[in-house]
Amino acid sequence: MDQGGAEIGGLACRGLTVARGKAPVLRGLDLEVPAGTRTVLVGPSGAGKTTLLRAIAGLESIDGGTIELGSRRIDRLAAHRRHCAVVFQEPRLLPHLDAAENVAFAMRAAGVGRRERRARATVLLADVGLDGFGARRVNELSGGEQQRIALARALCADPQILLLDEPLSAVDTNRREDLRSLIVALQQDRHLTTVFVTHDRAEAAQLGERVALMLEGRIVQHDEPRALFERPSSPIVARFFGSTNILRGVVRNGQMPVGDAIVAMPGPDGEACVTIRPERLRLDPDGPLELQVLEATYTGTGVRLKLADRELRLEATVPPAVAPVAGEWVGIALPLEDIWRIPSALPADAAGEPDPDLERWRS
Amino acid sequence: MTERRIGRWVGATAIVLFAAPLAVLVVQAFAEVWRYPALLPQQLGLRGFRVAFGSGDAGRATVDSLEVAVTTTALATVIAWPAARALARSHGPRRTAVLMVLALPLLVPPFATGTGLAEWFIRLGLADTRLGLVLAHLTVVLPYVLLVLIPAFSPRVIELEEMARSLGTGPVRRLLLVTLPSTGAVVAAAALLGFLVSWSQYGSSLAVGGGLPMLPLTLLPFVGADPTVAAALSLLFLVPAILALALASRGTREAL
Repeated sequence: MDQGGAEIGGLACRGLTVARGKAPVLRGLDLEVPAGTRTVLVGPSGAGKTTLLRAIAGLESIDGGTIELGSRRIDRLAAHRRHCAVVFQEPRLLPHLDAAENVAFAMRAAGVGRRERRARATVLLADVGLDGFGARRVNELSGGEQQRIALARALCADPQILLLDEPLSAVDTNRREDLRSLIVALQQDRHLTTVFVTHDRAEAAQLGERVALMLEGRIVQHDEPRALFERPSSPIVARFFGSTNILRGVVRNGQMPVGDAIVAMPGPDGEACVTIRPERLRLDPDGPLELQVLEATYTGTGVRLKLADRELRLEATVPPAVAPVAGEWVGIALPLEDIWRIPSALPADAAGEPDPDLERWRS
Repeated sequence: MTERRIGRWVGATAIVLFAAPLAVLVVQAFAEVWRYPALLPQQLGLRGFRVAFGSGDAGRATVDSLEVAVTTTALATVIAWPAARALARSHGPRRTAVLMVLALPLLVPPFATGTGLAEWFIRLGLADTRLGLVLAHLTVVLPYVLLVLIPAFSPRVIELEEMARSLGTGPVRRLLLVTLPSTGAVVAAAALLGFLVSWSQYGSSLAVGGGLPMLPLTLLPFVGADPTVAAALSLLFLVPAILALALASRGTREAL
């Protein structure tokens, strides 16, 4: 039973601009989240993700642009009239209320009676896996439990859009997975339009129906998760999603030299920039490339190799069992189907040395 | 010695130091004859109370004082609220400058401020009126209330308010359901201090309202002249203070 039965609307931000002093935080940002879908907003810290979320919710004023939610234009409305529920990084529970009253906060604020409030809170608490927690004091609960209550509280407000600002960062690492699946399940059940902010690209991949990469106040690519990892629209996107092998060259007659190898390259002849993910490179003694291992670093899930010859620098991730040691020369196979020609890359973008900004993003 | 035991000793010492003068006050109020060097009065009685309340002046002064103190405190809290909010969220040298200016009235003796005000109040017809007294007391009470109120608006409280805003809570409900319960202890402390400052205000009361004597003004003539009557009046003087303290400490417990 939904209070007020708010329609679920899509979100459309157009030309959103926010400046803090002289520094622009959002620079004419466009973002569309169709009704009932889930978009993960990912980007390095300082990209403006939290500012965007707060601007949508009305907690941050905007200097330009429009925000539409469903059929309403909401950017001039007070925050409490927007029907956006926010789950913040911290649970932000009211310590003087028990768990059920915290969940039913929006109903309490709307003047709904105690019996009805608690009945709904009981159902929602069960939905977030906290069956029977109604009478518990909130400061006795763990961080994960508190964040579940914050999630139930947001659902209880029957929002038109659910905004989550790194809700898992205060949760124990080994509890994150459960909460992540819970959020996805609840979102799908209720067909909630949802924006989820994170700085973690792996989390973005696992959570996103669609993922939007945000850099310096703009969305640079908004697509399904695989596209961002495997078909990045620019070298910057490629680097953020860990596709560190960015190579430039000249395509002639549908072929492009990569080190000592020649690879088939569809598309027009001329300058080209291609990328291949480190985990897609294979060690192969018969491979067309022969490179020396400069560094081999065990990462827990594999071994990260830095490879080089006279002109070529590559990174590869290989299983520990087959990993060579530093100094060895290894053969590398280039699986053609995993090489992606970056469409919008200007040759200058792909120059060997990444600029300092990119270095910062990669960390 | 454990920390808890040290705490207990410190607490006990504080209570003794605080209670000793008050205990003397109670004895003194009931003393008819108390000659040096006896430790206790030779004769007890109610003369002090009969004289103090016989004329009705003390009763009238109590009611007037209460009215002025409650009005002043309420006004000071309402005025200080938005200022404290703004100051709690500001930083840097400008904040320090503003705080300095706000604290300035505390550096000037209230009698001096009051004398200056009296000149104006006579011309404006505010001298010897309750409104005049409230305005004069505000000059002293407002800085205290404001300075105590600033820490109420901690980032945590602002975050809770944001949460409430995003969940569709309008300003009035937000104040009642979030801000007041989360800041209750500090607001109670600020109001208590404001009340007590106004209640015991002597200098400015004398300067602008000699014709409408507040309780401290009725008490003073007896100090020295008739210690028994002064002690009886002092006990009356203490009652609202203790009541206010009790209420404030209860408010604090509930808020926490």
